[in-house]
Amino acid sequence: MLEFQNITKIYESKKKQIVGVDNVSLTINKGDIFGIVGYSGAGKSSLLRCVNLLERPTSGKVLVDGVDLTQLSSSELRIARLKIGMIFQHFYLISQKTVGENIAFALRAAKTPKNRIEQRVNELLEMVGLTDKRDVYPGQLSGGQKQRVGIARALANNPSILLCDEATSALDPKTTLSILRLLKEINEKLGITIVLITHEMDVVKEICNRMAIMQDGRVVETGEVYDIFAEPKEPLTQEFIKSVVSFDIPNEILKDVKGQIIKILFKGEVAGEGVISDTMQRFNVKGNFLHGTIEYIQERPLGIFIMELQGEIAAVNEAKHYMEQRGAIVEVV
Amino acid sequence: MFDFPYFISMLPDIWKAFKETIIMIAISVSISLVIGLPLGILLFVSDKGMFWENRFIKNVFGFAVNLVRSIPYIILLVALFPLTNLLIGSTIGPVAASVSLSVAAIPYFARLVESSMREIDKGVVEATIAVGATPWMIIKDVLIPEARSSIIRGVTLTIISLVAYSAMAGVVGGGGIGDLAIRFGYYRYDDTIMIATVAILVILVQLIQLTGELVAKSIDKR
Repeated sequence: MLEFQNITKIYESKKKQIVGVDNVSLTINKGDIFGIVGYSGAGKSSLLRCVNLLERPTSGKVLVDGVDLTQLSSSELRIARLKIGMIFQHFYLISQKTVGENIAFALRAAKTPKNRIEQRVNELLEMVGLTDKRDVYPGQLSGGQKQRVGIARALANNPSILLCDEATSALDPKTTLSILRLLKEINEKLGITIVLITHEMDVVKEICNRMAIMQDGRVVETGEVYDIFAEPKEPLTQEFIKSVVSFDIPNEILKDVKGQIIKILFKGEVAGEGVISDTMQRFNVKGNFLHGTIEYIQERPLGIFIMELQGEIAAVNEAKHYMEQRGAIVEVV
Repeated sequence: MFDFPYFISMLPDIWKAFKETIIMIAISVSISLVIGLPLGILLFVSDKGMFWENRFIKNVFGFAVNLVRSIPYIILLVALFPLTNLLIGSTIGPVAASVSLSVAAIPYFARLVESSMREIDKGVVEATIAVGATPWMIIKDVLIPEARSSIIRGVTLTIISLVAYSAMAGVVGGGGIGDLAIRFGYYRYDDTIMIATVAILVILVQLIQLTGELVAKSIDKR
Protein backbone atom coordinates (compact mmCIF):
# COMPACT_ATOMS: atom_id res chain seq x y z
CA MET A 1 0.00 0.00 0.00
CA LEU A 2 1.10 3.50 -0.81
CA GLU A 3 -0.11 6.51 1.08
CA PHE A 4 0.42 10.18 0.45
CA GLN A 5 -0.35 12.22 3.56
CA ASN A 6 -0.70 15.96 3.05
CA ILE A 7 2.10 16.14 0.53
CA THR A 8 3.16 19.65 -0.38
CA LYS A 9 6.07 20.47 -2.63
CA ILE A 10 7.20 24.04 -3.02
CA TYR A 11 9.88 25.01 -5.52
CA GLU A 12 11.95 28.00 -4.50
CA SER A 13 13.08 30.15 -7.34
CA LYS A 14 14.90 33.45 -6.98
CA LYS A 15 11.89 35.70 -7.03
CA LYS A 16 8.98 33.58 -5.93
CA GLN A 17 7.76 30.26 -4.64
CA ILE A 18 6.03 27.87 -6.99
CA VAL A 19 3.67 25.35 -5.48
CA GLY A 20 4.16 22.08 -7.35
CA VAL A 21 2.03 19.85 -5.18
CA ASP A 22 -0.55 21.34 -2.86
CA ASN A 23 -1.57 19.29 0.18
CA VAL A 24 -2.32 16.02 -1.59
CA SER A 25 -3.54 12.98 0.31
CA LEU A 26 -4.14 9.77 -1.59
CA THR A 27 -4.23 6.09 -0.75
CA ILE A 28 -3.24 3.57 -3.38
CA ASN A 29 -4.09 -0.01 -2.50
CA LYS A 30 -1.96 -3.04 -3.06
CA GLY A 31 -2.55 -4.45 -6.54
CA ASP A 32 -4.07 -1.24 -7.90
CA ILE A 33 -3.20 0.18 -11.26
CA PHE A 34 -3.62 3.78 -10.29
CA GLY A 35 -3.65 6.51 -12.91
CA ILE A 36 -2.88 10.13 -12.12
CA VAL A 37 -4.09 12.37 -14.92
CA GLY A 38 -3.51 16.05 -15.55
CA TYR A 39 -2.12 18.54 -18.00
CA SER A 40 1.58 19.32 -17.88
CA GLY A 41 2.39 21.46 -14.87
CA ALA A 42 -0.44 19.98 -12.82
CA GLY A 43 2.06 18.52 -10.36
CA LYS A 44 1.53 14.86 -11.17
CA SER A 45 5.17 14.22 -11.99
CA SER A 46 6.34 15.95 -8.81
CA LEU A 47 3.90 13.87 -6.80
CA LEU A 48 5.12 10.64 -8.38
CA ARG A 49 8.75 11.59 -7.77
CA CYS A 50 7.94 12.08 -4.09
CA VAL A 51 7.25 8.34 -3.81
CA ASN A 52 10.90 7.30 -4.16
CA LEU A 53 12.09 10.71 -2.99
CA LEU A 54 13.73 11.70 -6.24
CA GLU A 55 12.09 14.84 -4.93
CA ARG A 56 11.62 15.46 -1.25
CA PRO A 57 8.23 16.85 -0.31
CA THR A 58 8.39 20.20 1.48
CA SER A 59 5.93 18.81 3.99
CA GLY A 60 3.87 15.67 4.42
CA LYS A 61 4.59 11.98 4.51
CA VAL A 62 4.90 9.20 1.97
CA LEU A 63 4.18 5.78 3.43
CA VAL A 64 5.22 2.75 1.42
CA ASP A 65 3.84 -0.37 3.08
CA GLY A 66 3.61 1.64 6.27
CA VAL A 67 7.19 2.94 6.22
CA ASP A 68 7.69 6.69 6.11
CA LEU A 69 10.47 7.08 3.54
CA THR A 70 11.17 10.69 4.50
CA GLN A 71 12.47 9.48 7.87
CA LEU A 72 15.03 7.03 6.48
CA SER A 73 18.78 7.57 6.40
CA SER A 74 20.35 7.74 2.96
CA SER A 75 21.50 4.13 3.01
CA GLU A 76 18.10 2.92 4.28
CA LEU A 77 16.46 4.94 1.55
CA ARG A 78 18.71 3.28 -1.03
CA ILE A 79 17.54 -0.14 0.19
CA ALA A 80 13.91 1.00 0.14
CA ARG A 81 14.32 2.17 -3.46
CA LEU A 82 15.25 -1.37 -4.53
CA LYS A 83 11.62 -2.24 -3.89
CA ILE A 84 10.22 0.70 -5.84
CA GLY A 85 10.68 0.30 -9.59
CA MET A 86 10.43 3.28 -11.90
CA ILE A 87 10.17 3.73 -15.66
CA PHE A 88 10.41 6.97 -17.59
CA GLN A 89 9.10 8.66 -20.72
CA HIS A 90 12.61 8.84 -22.16
CA PHE A 91 13.66 5.43 -20.82
CA TYR A 92 16.99 6.67 -19.40
CA LEU A 93 19.04 3.57 -20.06
CA ILE A 94 22.82 3.63 -19.78
CA SER A 95 23.70 4.09 -23.45
CA GLN A 96 27.24 2.67 -23.12
CA LYS A 97 26.07 -0.61 -21.59
CA THR A 98 24.27 -3.49 -23.26
CA VAL A 99 20.68 -4.38 -22.51
CA GLY A 100 21.87 -7.22 -20.28
CA GLU A 101 24.32 -4.98 -18.45
CA ASN A 102 21.62 -2.36 -17.88
CA ILE A 103 19.44 -4.93 -16.16
CA ALA A 104 22.39 -6.45 -14.30
CA PHE A 105 23.16 -2.96 -12.97
CA ALA A 106 19.92 -2.96 -10.98
CA LEU A 107 20.67 -6.44 -9.67
CA ARG A 108 24.15 -5.41 -8.59
CA ALA A 109 22.62 -2.45 -6.75
CA ALA A 110 20.79 -5.05 -4.66
CA LYS A 111 24.05 -6.99 -4.13
CA THR A 112 22.69 -10.02 -5.96
CA PRO A 113 25.28 -12.81 -5.98
CA LYS A 114 27.16 -12.97 -9.29
CA ASN A 115 25.96 -16.45 -10.22
CA ARG A 116 22.33 -15.40 -9.77
CA ILE A 117 22.62 -12.29 -11.94
CA GLU A 118 22.86 -13.96 -15.32
CA GLN A 119 19.94 -16.26 -14.63
CA ARG A 120 17.78 -13.38 -13.39
CA VAL A 121 18.70 -11.19 -16.40
CA ASN A 122 17.54 -13.97 -18.70
CA GLU A 123 14.31 -14.40 -16.75
CA LEU A 124 13.58 -10.69 -16.99
CA LEU A 125 14.40 -10.53 -20.68
CA GLU A 126 12.01 -13.37 -21.27
CA MET A 127 9.30 -11.61 -19.30
CA VAL A 128 9.55 -8.49 -21.46
CA GLY A 129 10.06 -10.44 -24.68
CA LEU A 130 13.62 -9.39 -25.50
CA THR A 131 15.62 -12.59 -25.08
CA ASP A 132 17.51 -12.01 -28.34
CA LYS A 133 18.58 -8.46 -27.40
CA ARG A 134 20.75 -9.18 -24.38
CA ASP A 135 24.04 -8.13 -25.94
CA VAL A 136 22.71 -5.23 -27.97
CA TYR A 137 23.25 -1.56 -27.01
CA PRO A 138 20.17 0.59 -26.32
CA GLY A 139 20.99 2.80 -29.32
CA GLN A 140 20.03 -0.06 -31.63
CA LEU A 141 16.59 -0.56 -30.08
CA SER A 142 13.23 0.98 -30.95
CA GLY A 143 11.37 3.11 -28.40
CA GLY A 144 9.09 0.26 -27.39
CA GLN A 145 12.04 -2.10 -26.94
CA LYS A 146 13.88 0.49 -24.84
CA GLN A 147 10.86 0.83 -22.60
CA ARG A 148 10.77 -2.96 -22.22
CA VAL A 149 14.37 -2.85 -21.05
CA GLY A 150 13.35 -0.06 -18.66
CA ILE A 151 10.58 -2.29 -17.32
CA ALA A 152 12.95 -5.25 -16.93
CA ARG A 153 15.40 -3.03 -15.02
CA ALA A 154 12.61 -1.68 -12.82
CA LEU A 155 11.36 -5.19 -11.99
CA ALA A 156 14.80 -6.69 -11.42
CA ASN A 157 14.62 -6.66 -7.64
CA ASN A 158 10.98 -7.76 -7.33
CA PRO A 159 9.58 -4.39 -6.31
CA SER A 160 6.19 -4.02 -4.66
CA ILE A 161 5.47 -0.80 -6.54
CA LEU A 162 6.16 0.26 -10.11
CA LEU A 163 6.10 3.99 -10.88
CA CYS A 164 5.48 4.98 -14.49
CA ASP A 165 6.39 8.55 -15.39
CA GLU A 166 4.61 9.18 -18.71
CA ALA A 167 5.98 5.80 -19.73
CA THR A 168 4.12 5.62 -23.03
CA SER A 169 4.03 9.29 -24.00
CA ALA A 170 6.99 8.99 -26.37
CA LEU A 171 5.62 5.90 -28.11
CA ASP A 172 3.29 5.41 -31.07
CA PRO A 173 -0.26 4.13 -30.40
CA LYS A 174 0.47 0.53 -31.32
CA THR A 175 3.60 0.34 -29.17
CA THR A 176 1.77 2.14 -26.36
CA LEU A 177 -0.86 -0.57 -26.37
CA SER A 178 1.72 -3.36 -26.24
CA ILE A 179 3.53 -1.69 -23.32
CA LEU A 180 0.23 -1.19 -21.49
CA ARG A 181 -0.65 -4.85 -21.99
CA LEU A 182 2.75 -5.80 -20.58
CA LEU A 183 2.16 -3.58 -17.54
CA LYS A 184 -1.24 -5.13 -16.98
CA GLU A 185 0.24 -8.61 -17.26
CA ILE A 186 2.91 -7.70 -14.70
CA ASN A 187 0.26 -6.32 -12.38
CA GLU A 188 -1.83 -9.48 -12.62
CA LYS A 189 0.98 -12.05 -12.55
CA LEU A 190 3.24 -10.47 -9.96
CA GLY A 191 0.70 -8.47 -8.00
CA ILE A 192 2.79 -5.32 -8.30
CA THR A 193 1.02 -2.06 -7.53
CA ILE A 194 1.39 0.30 -10.48
CA VAL A 195 1.15 4.07 -10.25
CA LEU A 196 1.21 5.79 -13.58
CA ILE A 197 0.95 9.40 -14.56
CA THR A 198 -0.23 10.42 -17.98
CA HIS A 199 -2.03 13.13 -19.88
CA GLU A 200 -3.74 10.54 -22.06
CA MET A 201 -7.12 9.33 -20.88
CA ASP A 202 -6.82 6.36 -23.25
CA VAL A 203 -4.03 4.96 -21.11
CA VAL A 204 -6.15 5.18 -17.97
CA LYS A 205 -9.15 3.67 -19.71
CA GLU A 206 -7.02 0.82 -20.99
CA ILE A 207 -5.46 -0.44 -17.77
CA CYS A 208 -6.24 1.54 -14.61
CA ASN A 209 -8.78 0.54 -12.02
CA ARG A 210 -8.55 3.72 -9.96
CA MET A 211 -7.56 7.22 -10.84
CA ALA A 212 -7.05 10.78 -9.67
CA ILE A 213 -7.24 13.98 -11.66
CA MET A 214 -4.84 16.76 -10.78
CA GLN A 215 -4.91 20.47 -11.47
CA ASP A 216 -2.66 23.21 -10.06
CA GLY A 217 -1.01 20.78 -7.66
CA ARG A 218 -4.28 19.54 -6.18
CA VAL A 219 -6.26 16.36 -6.65
CA VAL A 220 -9.65 17.53 -7.93
CA GLU A 221 -11.32 14.15 -8.24
CA THR A 222 -10.47 10.58 -7.40
CA GLY A 223 -12.23 7.24 -7.54
CA GLU A 224 -12.83 4.10 -9.57
CA VAL A 225 -12.05 4.65 -13.24
CA TYR A 226 -15.41 3.18 -14.23
CA ASP A 227 -17.35 5.55 -11.98
CA ILE A 228 -15.40 8.55 -13.12
CA PHE A 229 -15.96 7.67 -16.76
CA ALA A 230 -19.65 7.14 -16.10
CA GLU A 231 -20.22 10.26 -14.05
CA PRO A 232 -17.37 12.74 -14.06
CA LYS A 233 -18.13 15.49 -11.56
CA GLU A 234 -15.52 18.19 -12.02
CA PRO A 235 -15.31 20.27 -15.23
CA LEU A 236 -11.69 19.25 -15.75
CA THR A 237 -12.60 15.57 -15.43
CA GLN A 238 -15.39 16.02 -17.95
CA GLU A 239 -12.95 17.66 -20.30
CA PHE A 240 -10.57 14.71 -20.03
CA ILE A 241 -13.35 12.17 -20.49
CA LYS A 242 -14.46 14.05 -23.60
CA SER A 243 -11.08 13.39 -25.16
CA VAL A 244 -11.93 9.69 -25.13
CA VAL A 245 -15.72 9.56 -25.24
CA SER A 246 -17.04 12.53 -27.15
CA PHE A 247 -20.69 13.32 -27.84
CA ASP A 248 -20.50 16.30 -30.06
CA ILE A 249 -23.49 16.42 -32.35
CA PRO A 250 -23.15 18.60 -35.43
CA ASN A 251 -25.26 21.78 -35.43
CA GLU A 252 -26.88 20.75 -38.73
CA ILE A 253 -28.47 17.82 -36.93
CA LEU A 254 -29.40 19.76 -33.80
CA LYS A 255 -31.26 22.32 -35.94
CA ASP A 256 -33.75 19.70 -37.05
CA VAL A 257 -34.36 18.31 -33.58
CA LYS A 258 -37.93 18.94 -32.45
CA GLY A 259 -38.21 16.90 -29.27
CA GLN A 260 -36.17 16.78 -26.07
CA ILE A 261 -32.55 15.65 -26.18
CA ILE A 262 -31.58 13.30 -23.38
CA LYS A 263 -28.45 11.45 -22.43
CA ILE A 264 -29.01 7.93 -21.18
CA LEU A 265 -26.32 6.13 -19.29
CA PHE A 266 -26.30 2.40 -18.65
CA LYS A 267 -23.81 1.14 -16.13
CA GLY A 268 -22.61 -2.41 -15.83
CA GLU A 269 -24.89 -5.29 -16.59
CA VAL A 270 -27.98 -3.27 -17.52
CA ALA A 271 -28.77 -4.18 -21.10
CA GLY A 272 -29.17 -0.79 -22.68
CA GLU A 273 -30.92 -1.67 -25.87
CA GLY A 274 -33.60 -3.73 -24.19
CA VAL A 275 -34.57 -0.90 -21.89
CA ILE A 276 -34.86 1.56 -24.73
CA SER A 277 -36.98 -0.67 -26.95
CA ASP A 278 -39.27 -1.55 -24.01
CA THR A 279 -39.71 2.15 -23.32
CA MET A 280 -40.60 2.92 -26.90
CA GLN A 281 -43.23 0.17 -26.89
CA ARG A 282 -44.79 1.12 -23.57
CA PHE A 283 -45.10 4.84 -24.03
CA ASN A 284 -46.35 6.95 -26.80
CA VAL A 285 -42.99 8.49 -27.60
CA LYS A 286 -40.79 8.38 -30.65
CA GLY A 287 -37.14 7.87 -30.05
CA ASN A 288 -34.40 8.93 -32.35
CA PHE A 289 -30.72 8.03 -31.74
CA LEU A 290 -28.32 10.91 -32.28
CA HIS A 291 -25.21 9.36 -30.83
CA GLY A 292 -24.26 6.30 -28.89
CA THR A 293 -21.48 4.10 -27.74
CA ILE A 294 -20.76 1.22 -25.44
CA GLU A 295 -17.35 1.56 -23.85
CA TYR A 296 -15.71 -1.30 -22.05
CA ILE A 297 -13.83 -0.12 -19.00
CA GLN A 298 -12.23 -2.77 -16.81
CA GLU A 299 -14.21 -5.17 -19.02
CA ARG A 300 -17.47 -3.70 -17.74
CA PRO A 301 -19.74 -2.19 -20.37
CA LEU A 302 -20.69 1.47 -20.08
CA GLY A 303 -23.45 2.44 -22.48
CA ILE A 304 -23.97 6.08 -23.30
CA PHE A 305 -26.68 7.14 -25.75
CA ILE A 306 -27.92 10.51 -26.85
CA MET A 307 -31.53 10.40 -28.01
CA GLU A 308 -34.20 12.72 -29.12
CA LEU A 309 -37.59 11.94 -27.54
CA GLN A 310 -40.67 13.19 -29.35
CA GLY A 311 -44.21 13.12 -27.99
CA GLU A 312 -46.49 14.63 -25.34
CA ILE A 313 -44.53 16.15 -22.45
CA ALA A 314 -46.24 13.85 -19.96
CA ALA A 315 -45.42 10.77 -22.02
CA VAL A 316 -41.81 11.86 -22.42
CA ASN A 317 -41.49 12.37 -18.67
CA GLU A 318 -43.05 9.00 -17.95
CA ALA A 319 -40.70 7.37 -20.42
CA LYS A 320 -37.68 8.95 -18.71
CA HIS A 321 -38.97 7.90 -15.32
CA TYR A 322 -39.43 4.34 -16.56
CA MET A 323 -35.90 4.17 -17.90
CA GLU A 324 -34.56 5.42 -14.58
CA GLN A 325 -36.52 2.68 -12.81
CA ARG A 326 -34.84 0.17 -15.06
CA GLY A 327 -31.43 1.36 -13.88
CA ALA A 328 -30.51 3.94 -16.45
CA ILE A 329 -29.24 7.36 -15.58
CA VAL A 330 -31.17 9.92 -17.61
CA GLU A 331 -30.11 13.48 -18.05
CA VAL A 332 -31.61 16.23 -20.19
CA VAL A 333 -28.95 17.76 -22.38
CA MET B 1 65.76 29.28 -46.69
CA PHE B 2 65.51 25.58 -45.94
CA ASP B 3 68.99 24.07 -45.98
CA PHE B 4 68.43 20.34 -46.45
CA PRO B 5 71.97 18.99 -45.78
CA TYR B 6 72.11 21.16 -42.65
CA PHE B 7 68.75 19.75 -41.59
CA ILE B 8 70.10 16.22 -41.98
CA SER B 9 73.13 17.11 -39.90
CA MET B 10 70.83 18.44 -37.18
CA LEU B 11 68.64 15.33 -37.09
CA PRO B 12 70.25 13.84 -33.93
CA ASP B 13 69.54 17.10 -32.07
CA ILE B 14 66.00 17.22 -33.36
CA TRP B 15 65.46 13.58 -32.37
CA LYS B 16 66.80 14.27 -28.88
CA ALA B 17 64.49 17.28 -28.52
CA PHE B 18 61.56 15.27 -29.82
CA LYS B 19 62.16 12.57 -27.23
CA GLU B 20 62.32 15.20 -24.49
CA THR B 21 59.00 16.63 -25.62
CA ILE B 22 57.46 13.16 -25.58
CA ILE B 23 58.83 12.51 -22.07
CA MET B 24 57.45 15.80 -20.75
CA ILE B 25 54.05 15.19 -22.27
CA ALA B 26 53.89 11.54 -21.25
CA ILE B 27 54.71 12.31 -17.61
CA SER B 28 52.43 15.31 -17.31
CA VAL B 29 49.51 13.67 -19.14
CA SER B 30 49.75 10.60 -16.91
CA ILE B 31 49.79 12.70 -13.76
CA SER B 32 46.98 14.97 -14.91
CA LEU B 33 44.83 11.95 -15.78
CA VAL B 34 45.43 10.27 -12.45
CA ILE B 35 44.67 13.41 -10.44
CA GLY B 36 42.47 15.35 -12.86
CA LEU B 37 39.91 12.61 -13.45
CA PRO B 38 38.95 12.14 -9.78
CA LEU B 39 39.10 15.90 -9.28
CA GLY B 40 36.75 16.45 -12.23
CA ILE B 41 34.35 13.80 -10.90
CA LEU B 42 34.49 15.40 -7.46
CA LEU B 43 33.66 18.81 -8.95
CA PHE B 44 30.70 17.26 -10.74
CA VAL B 45 29.19 15.13 -7.98
CA SER B 46 29.58 17.82 -5.32
CA ASP B 47 27.62 20.28 -7.45
CA LYS B 48 24.12 21.45 -6.58
CA GLY B 49 21.49 18.79 -7.08
CA MET B 50 23.97 15.93 -7.33
CA PHE B 51 24.16 13.00 -4.95
CA TRP B 52 27.21 14.28 -3.07
CA GLU B 53 26.15 17.89 -3.09
CA ASN B 54 28.64 19.74 -0.90
CA ARG B 55 29.10 23.47 -1.25
CA PHE B 56 32.29 23.55 0.77
CA ILE B 57 34.10 20.98 -1.36
CA LYS B 58 32.71 22.45 -4.56
CA ASN B 59 33.88 25.95 -3.63
CA VAL B 60 37.31 25.01 -2.30
CA PHE B 61 38.25 22.81 -5.24
CA GLY B 62 36.51 25.08 -7.72
CA PHE B 63 38.54 28.03 -6.43
CA ALA B 64 41.82 26.11 -6.54
CA VAL B 65 41.15 25.02 -10.11
CA ASN B 66 40.28 28.55 -11.20
CA LEU B 67 43.32 29.95 -9.40
CA VAL B 68 45.80 27.73 -11.22
CA ARG B 69 44.02 28.21 -14.52
CA SER B 70 44.17 31.98 -14.25
CA ILE B 71 47.97 32.10 -13.85
CA PRO B 72 49.78 32.39 -17.20
CA TYR B 73 51.80 29.23 -17.71
CA ILE B 74 55.13 30.96 -18.06
CA ILE B 75 54.65 32.54 -14.62
CA LEU B 76 53.42 29.30 -13.08
CA LEU B 77 56.54 27.65 -14.43
CA VAL B 78 58.84 30.07 -12.67
CA ALA B 79 56.72 30.25 -9.51
CA LEU B 80 56.93 26.46 -9.17
CA PHE B 81 60.74 26.34 -9.26
CA PRO B 82 61.01 25.81 -5.49
CA LEU B 83 58.51 22.96 -5.60
CA THR B 84 60.25 21.47 -8.63
CA ASN B 85 63.59 21.66 -6.88
CA LEU B 86 62.11 19.98 -3.84
CA LEU B 87 60.56 17.14 -5.83
CA ILE B 88 63.15 16.55 -8.54
CA GLY B 89 66.26 18.17 -7.13
CA SER B 90 66.72 20.27 -10.24
CA THR B 91 64.79 22.78 -12.31
CA ILE B 92 66.38 21.89 -15.62
CA GLY B 93 65.40 19.16 -18.05
CA PRO B 94 62.21 17.50 -19.23
CA VAL B 95 61.44 15.72 -15.94
CA ALA B 96 61.67 18.99 -14.02
CA ALA B 97 59.45 20.69 -16.60
CA SER B 98 56.85 17.97 -16.07
CA VAL B 99 56.13 19.31 -12.59
CA SER B 100 54.76 22.63 -13.75
CA LEU B 101 53.20 21.08 -16.83
CA SER B 102 51.27 18.66 -14.59
CA VAL B 103 50.18 21.43 -12.26
CA ALA B 104 48.87 23.38 -15.25
CA ALA B 105 47.20 20.39 -16.89
CA ILE B 106 45.44 18.92 -13.84
CA PRO B 107 42.85 21.70 -13.39
CA TYR B 108 42.41 22.01 -17.15
CA PHE B 109 41.64 18.33 -17.53
CA ALA B 110 39.48 18.31 -14.39
CA ARG B 111 37.26 21.03 -15.85
CA LEU B 112 37.00 19.08 -19.11
CA VAL B 113 35.96 15.95 -17.19
CA GLU B 114 33.40 17.97 -15.26
CA SER B 115 31.88 19.43 -18.41
CA SER B 116 31.86 16.00 -20.09
CA MET B 117 29.77 14.72 -17.21
CA ARG B 118 27.43 17.66 -17.46
CA GLU B 119 26.54 16.48 -20.95
CA ILE B 120 25.08 13.26 -19.53
CA ASP B 121 21.30 13.38 -19.39
CA LYS B 122 20.37 14.01 -15.74
CA GLY B 123 17.54 11.52 -16.22
CA VAL B 124 19.99 8.66 -16.71
CA VAL B 125 21.66 9.42 -13.39
CA GLU B 126 18.27 9.81 -11.74
CA ALA B 127 17.06 6.50 -13.13
CA THR B 128 20.02 4.75 -11.53
CA ILE B 129 19.43 6.55 -8.23
CA ALA B 130 15.82 5.31 -8.41
CA VAL B 131 17.13 1.79 -8.95
CA GLY B 132 18.92 2.04 -5.60
CA ALA B 133 22.49 2.24 -6.89
CA THR B 134 25.31 3.34 -4.59
CA PRO B 135 27.19 6.55 -5.42
CA TRP B 136 30.26 4.49 -6.26
CA MET B 137 28.26 2.38 -8.74
CA ILE B 138 26.88 5.51 -10.33
CA ILE B 139 30.38 6.95 -10.77
CA LYS B 140 31.89 3.72 -12.05
CA ASP B 141 29.04 2.38 -14.17
CA VAL B 142 27.17 5.48 -15.26
CA LEU B 143 29.18 8.70 -15.13
CA ILE B 144 32.49 7.36 -16.43
CA PRO B 145 31.09 5.09 -19.19
CA GLU B 146 28.56 7.67 -20.35
CA ALA B 147 31.16 10.46 -20.44
CA ARG B 148 33.94 8.21 -21.76
CA SER B 149 33.95 9.43 -25.34
CA SER B 150 33.80 13.04 -24.32
CA ILE B 151 36.56 12.49 -21.73
CA ILE B 152 38.78 11.00 -24.45
CA ARG B 153 38.26 14.20 -26.44
CA GLY B 154 39.25 16.06 -23.28
CA VAL B 155 42.45 14.03 -23.06
CA THR B 156 43.19 14.98 -26.67
CA LEU B 157 42.70 18.66 -25.87
CA THR B 158 44.87 18.36 -22.77
CA ILE B 159 47.71 16.70 -24.71
CA ILE B 160 47.58 19.38 -27.39
CA SER B 161 47.68 22.13 -24.77
CA LEU B 162 50.65 20.38 -23.19
CA VAL B 163 52.48 20.36 -26.52
CA ALA B 164 52.07 24.15 -26.61
CA TYR B 165 53.03 24.57 -22.94
CA SER B 166 56.05 22.27 -23.33
CA ALA B 167 57.44 24.68 -25.92
CA MET B 168 57.35 27.40 -23.27
CA ALA B 169 59.00 25.13 -20.75
CA GLY B 170 61.90 25.04 -23.19
CA VAL B 171 62.60 28.70 -22.50
CA VAL B 172 63.70 27.98 -18.97
CA GLY B 173 65.72 24.89 -19.79
CA GLY B 174 63.03 22.28 -20.02
CA GLY B 175 64.34 21.02 -23.32
CA GLY B 176 62.23 19.64 -26.13
CA ILE B 177 61.14 20.76 -29.56
CA GLY B 178 60.03 24.17 -28.34
CA ASP B 179 63.39 24.75 -26.76
CA LEU B 180 65.07 23.91 -30.06
CA ALA B 181 62.77 26.23 -31.97
CA ILE B 182 63.55 29.13 -29.68
CA ARG B 183 67.29 28.59 -29.33
CA PHE B 184 68.01 28.01 -32.99
CA GLY B 185 65.06 29.38 -34.86
CA TYR B 186 64.44 32.50 -32.82
CA TYR B 187 67.76 33.50 -31.24
CA ARG B 188 69.95 32.46 -34.17
CA TYR B 189 67.60 33.24 -37.05
CA ASP B 190 68.00 29.61 -38.11
CA ASP B 191 65.15 29.23 -40.61
CA THR B 192 65.81 25.55 -41.25
CA ILE B 193 65.37 24.57 -37.61
CA MET B 194 62.45 26.95 -37.22
CA ILE B 195 60.60 25.40 -40.17
CA ALA B 196 61.52 21.85 -39.16
CA THR B 197 60.38 22.26 -35.54
CA VAL B 198 57.15 24.01 -36.48
CA ALA B 199 56.45 21.27 -39.02
CA ILE B 200 57.09 18.60 -36.39
CA LEU B 201 54.73 20.33 -33.96
CA VAL B 202 52.03 20.69 -36.63
CA ILE B 203 52.27 17.01 -37.55
CA LEU B 204 52.34 15.99 -33.88
CA VAL B 205 49.20 17.96 -33.05
CA GLN B 206 47.38 16.66 -36.13
CA LEU B 207 48.26 13.09 -35.21
CA ILE B 208 47.11 13.52 -31.61
CA GLN B 209 43.84 15.07 -32.74
CA LEU B 210 43.21 12.36 -35.31
CA THR B 211 44.00 9.51 -32.93
CA GLY B 212 41.91 11.06 -30.15
CA GLU B 213 38.92 11.44 -32.44
CA LEU B 214 39.25 7.88 -33.71
CA VAL B 215 39.43 6.43 -30.23
CA ALA B 216 36.53 8.58 -29.00
CA LYS B 217 34.35 7.43 -31.90
CA SER B 218 35.27 3.78 -31.68
CA ILE B 219 34.33 3.43 -28.01
CA ASP B 220 31.00 5.24 -28.32
CA LYS B 221 28.11 2.76 -28.37
CA ARG B 222 25.35 5.24 -29.11
